[in-house]
Amino acid sequence: MAVKKLSKEKIAEVLQELSKFRLIAPALSDDVVIFKEIQDPEEAYLDYGNSTVPPKKVVFPQTETLFRFQIGNPELTEKDVGEEGTTVIFGLRPCDARAMAIVDKLFRWDYDDPYYLKRRELVTLVGMACVEPPSINCFCTSVGGSPFGKEGLDLLLTDMGDEHYLVQALTEKGEKLQETLAPHLGDAGDKDESKVEELAKEAEGKILRSINPEGIPEKLPGLWDHGLWKEASASCLGCGICTFLCPTCHCFDIQDEVEESGEGRRARMWDSCMFSEYTVHASGHNPRPTRKERTRNRINHKYSYYPDRFDVIACVGCGRCINLCPVNIDILDILEQVVEA
Amino acid sequence: MVDVNKLREIAREVISREDVRELIGYRPGTYGFRARPAFVMGPDEVDELIFTPACVNNLASYIALEEKPPVRRGEEPDLRKVAVMVKGCDSRALVQQMEEKAYDRDQILVLGIPCTGVVDMAKVQERFPDVLEPAEITLEGDKFILSFNGSKEEVPGEELLAEKCKRCRYPTPLVYDELLDEEVERFADDDYSDVEALENRSVEEKWDYWEEKFSRCIRCYSCRNVCPMCYCEDCVLDRLQPMWMRRSVDISENTAYHVARAYHLAGRCIQCGECERVCPVDIPLMELNRKFYKDVEDLYDYEPGTEVEAEPLLSTFSVDDSEEFIM
Amino acid sequence: MDNPYIPYQVNILEAWYETPGERCIKTFKVTFADDKVWDNWNHLPGQCAMVGIPGVGESMFCISSSPTEEGFLRFSIMIMGKTTTALHELEAGDSFYLRGPLGNNFPLDEWKGKNIVTIGGGIGQAPLRPVIQWVRDNRDDYGELELIYGARSSADHCFKVEFEDIDQSDDCACHLSIDVEEEEWPHFVGFVPTLLMEVAPSPENAIAVTCGPPIMIKFVLENLEKLGFKPDQVYTTLENRMKCGIGKCGRCNVGHLYVCKDGPVFSYEQLKDIPEAFA
Repeated sequence: MAVKKLSKEKIAEVLQELSKFRLIAPALSDDVVIFKEIQDPEEAYLDYGNSTVPPKKVVFPQTETLFRFQIGNPELTEKDVGEEGTTVIFGLRPCDARAMAIVDKLFRWDYDDPYYLKRRELVTLVGMACVEPPSINCFCTSVGGSPFGKEGLDLLLTDMGDEHYLVQALTEKGEKLQETLAPHLGDAGDKDESKVEELAKEAEGKILRSINPEGIPEKLPGLWDHGLWKEASASCLGCGICTFLCPTCHCFDIQDEVEESGEGRRARMWDSCMFSEYTVHASGHNPRPTRKERTRNRINHKYSYYPDRFDVIACVGCGRCINLCPVNIDILDILEQVVEA
Repeated sequence: MVDVNKLREIAREVISREDVRELIGYRPGTYGFRARPAFVMGPDEVDELIFTPACVNNLASYIALEEKPPVRRGEEPDLRKVAVMVKGCDSRALVQQMEEKAYDRDQILVLGIPCTGVVDMAKVQERFPDVLEPAEITLEGDKFILSFNGSKEEVPGEELLAEKCKRCRYPTPLVYDELLDEEVERFADDDYSDVEALENRSVEEKWDYWEEKFSRCIRCYSCRNVCPMCYCEDCVLDRLQPMWMRRSVDISENTAYHVARAYHLAGRCIQCGECERVCPVDIPLMELNRKFYKDVEDLYDYEPGTEVEAEPLLSTFSVDDSEEFIM
Repeated sequence: MDNPYIPYQVNILEAWYETPGERCIKTFKVTFADDKVWDNWNHLPGQCAMVGIPGVGESMFCISSSPTEEGFLRFSIMIMGKTTTALHELEAGDSFYLRGPLGNNFPLDEWKGKNIVTIGGGIGQAPLRPVIQWVRDNRDDYGELELIYGARSSADHCFKVEFEDIDQSDDCACHLSIDVEEEEWPHFVGFVPTLLMEVAPSPENAIAVTCGPPIMIKFVLENLEKLGFKPDQVYTTLENRMKCGIGKCGRCNVGHLYVCKDGPVFSYEQLKDIPEAFA
């Protein structure tokens, strides 16, 4: 597939071109990096590690309408996701794109989730390789990813270090977008691709934390009653930070909302398996009554149940859960205990 | 500075007592400068306990967060005491919880730590983003000493101290069974200058300000769960019948959540600042809570969490009340 | 419908109370508002549907009728929370909505030629009813059919009229019980697991299907083992809090199994090594 070069001076032009679509790029809200829709290239903030909230929220919004209704009227109006239009997510990191590819498997499993899959169809993912790891807690290389990883991306930009980005098209969608941007792109030289390979190896070497996941999916079921779960969950607050900031977490709640006028909608919104009401039955019975059961379920889901069904660990090593857990519960710490148990 | 050996000795004694079930303290974190809560169940576990300026967590939250798992038939629930280490600000949470009769004084054993301030971990990590190996922070005089990778760096206290510490009125715990160090005299006061700055903005400016912040909110509820005063088993904002707040995440519901919670904390928030610390999207929640705090002080000359015997401000009726009814 | 989140409207043909009291059970007999939906509708005993009312919510219920009962679906719903309270207010002529059929079914094909024993307690009879109906409507395909059912009192028995009919027929042996003595109760008095031991069905070429309160299931499983039933001869249905019903929202998992997709029908062989299954 075509490989091009983009001079850093022309980034604004490229973003301008892309803003003809619905363009989502990293931006600042106060000091917080968020992915948001931008119209003006000036709004884009490219000197960033990674966003706090992953770009999964573009294809899997935190809250979305499934259908609308009017009380008294039997008709249900399906939400047309197509209205959102062709979208480009610019500057997402390889781990976040890989996470989407992992979650795609679930949203396609037997039943097609029309909302998520329509958005995936409408979105083109333009990634930015991690020349430096965004955080000391990154461990993408341990779970099948890489700072220069291509999985899930349509286009990959790599900062060559010499005032240029290399622009690699990885899919048909990526090629199409690259063609649209052609007037702003130059040709890449023969040495450029091998330079990127070098940079990739360097970048992988900068990843400091790791775990060997081999055997973990098979080992976990046998550790169901192990004491490590009580210990790991003792300080857990039961908030949703780890799940909401995780690019592979996808659990949701469905609630109906009605206005005084009788207009209503059935909506779905992110939910967290760490919340105590997540599995509460109408009778009041809760099969996962304490944080120990919920923590054990979460780790098992990501590192045992998901790989069991879809052949891939549902964790991309982005490190957000480690960075932002208020009480420093560390998934690598837990996994090390699993390995040693 | 707390002598860590003395701390561990006292902890060892405490956890060896027959009537103590567990001890909540601090231990080194899993990376860099972080420290994290420790749940010590026996005397052989006390050697990991520490106390340094990195010990930012309010452990009093765990008294409120305690879960009562279902007990098997024939088994009795373990009702022994919980021992907890608290700094000055944290101790106010215990005081307020007892003021509200959340539990009896004899159900906890308080190990008070007179505190000269903790760091703002975000500032530390911004200054030293590449420190992965376990590192240490100590306070010597008015400087922080950061030890990592075999070297030491000195940073003036001002630059790394948590904002809340710069206006701390209660560095020495207000309730304790044992004090782990010498009392610390009050070294700061609160002039509410940040609250006044907000008060002086126009209504439009205030809306714009908070809209930017609340739009970032992802309703992770970390602020609520970490708050030692949010200990309702059945939070009104989780209820579906009636649904006071929708589960959907948008500026309207987010604003409702934060404002409702701030009101529920009026006269109860003890200024530990944990809510703001834990927020993953940097919403300045203390500005909201401090506005209520200032108003409560101005109107009622009352500070929550200072006297166990005091009556909770907004849930007490006195026959001398100038109003005839609660409405 | 391509979109598995959009429900079909159904009209209530008949509605009646099975049992009285605080946790009363109401049965609804419904048909699709749009007749054409029947053309593509195919369900088998064991499968469920997400039943609900826009503006209120949805809950998962087993389809309590066999496909051999043509032209309608039945649901027997116990009042419990927000959605069920709203459903209980509906009568014949009203509508609600459903999505389905969801989940897996009892492997009735595999069971051909075998003896079938159903062991139900309380509302647990609802998923077992379509099995009994199917076997009776395909009588020659199966061996003996035994129905064991109990509830707290005679008033708490579901499907009372149908049991009378079954009791008098000769294609199914019917064994009923109530927990506590009552005047004029002609059948067994005692808990269902005890009645099971009284009936003592032979495990030879047999399948046991059980559904009911967790405590009953626990003792029934123990007793079936005592009687010589192997784990792969025993089937049950699990339930859990559900939202999407199609394996996306993540919450109904029991271990690695999704109750809405891998279940709700499970053999004891599948569940015996999953600690969460009997939490």
